[in-house]
Amino acid sequence: MLRIAAVGDVHVGADSIGHLRSGFAHLADEADVLLLAGDLTKRGELAEADVLAGELRDLPVPIVAVLGNHDHESDQQRVLTQRLLDVGVRVLEGSSTVLEIEGVRLGIAGGKGFAGGFVGACATAFGEREMKVFANASMLTAAAMESAVRSLDTDVRVLLTHYAPIRGTLHGESPELYPLLGSYLFAELADRSRVDLIVHGHAHDGTEKGATPRGIPVRNVAQPVLRRPYAVYGVEPGRHPWQEPGERRADASVG
Amino acid sequence: MSAEADPFLAEHIHEALSRDQRVNAPELRITVEHGYVHIDGIVATEDRKRAIADVVGERWAALTLDDRTTVADFPPDGRIEVV
Repeated sequence: MLRIAAVGDVHVGADSIGHLRSGFAHLADEADVLLLAGDLTKRGELAEADVLAGELRDLPVPIVAVLGNHDHESDQQRVLTQRLLDVGVRVLEGSSTVLEIEGVRLGIAGGKGFAGGFVGACATAFGEREMKVFANASMLTAAAMESAVRSLDTDVRVLLTHYAPIRGTLHGESPELYPLLGSYLFAELADRSRVDLIVHGHAHDGTEKGATPRGIPVRNVAQPVLRRPYAVYGVEPGRHPWQEPGERRADASVG
Repeated sequence: MSAEADPFLAEHIHEALSRDQRVNAPELRITVEHGYVHIDGIVATEDRKRAIADVVGERWAALTLDDRTTVADFPPDGRIEVV
């Protein structure tokens, strides 16, 4: 069984040196990989990037991350990404990566994602230019993520985002905020592409556990929701939540 | 208009706590009533919790702050959920 640790919304800053790392003291015993679901810094400044890199340097398991909206605040996301790459963190933005863990191939696709809303209460690319830009941002990032997921021919496939893919893990947030907290497009692509687990952050007042319409588990790992340094999810290769009897992924040879 | 009579005050405070670089916490929940500003949520550090009081005090000194925020300091629990 793969043990996938995950956390988001840790908001590292110059005032939090050592906080994040101290929570990872038992990581090697508890997990095979660590996923970071965005909002890794307070405001995406270079000084914060340096602190974050120091917290993550030489951790005992592979780390895969996406950025969040806080990480974009200072418009230095490329430098932040490079700092993370420099310490061995794989950073996804409409892209994917593959890890081999004790003979099991784990594919992770993802990106920050964006807002837009959920079925019945959703932004559409109609009207003013500004509205089209807003709605198209989610569509473009979802298209890139779907392409990344479909490139993965692995035993297990995980979608990692910052913004939420379903309403279910937003329960506890003000419903008026839902359209700003995620987009149904990410759940739709996951259901269509048959991923095994979706991990996201962003919704501090939300709920940890939910599922897509097809039954794919969705986990909101924002640290204020988890109230622990990270969650650990066990995934059995070959046991797919989306699978009906006899069904195989159309675009992959495994499963 | 007094601070308390401003029906949009909670959102002005939300905006300030989102944008002020000492805090940058748009996720906080804010309500204003009867001269109190109630702020709830989780912040990453003690410095940021103190900064909430600074920001509110600097701009809305007439209000009494009811700071219900907690600082993220969560122990591990060793749980694993099979999904």
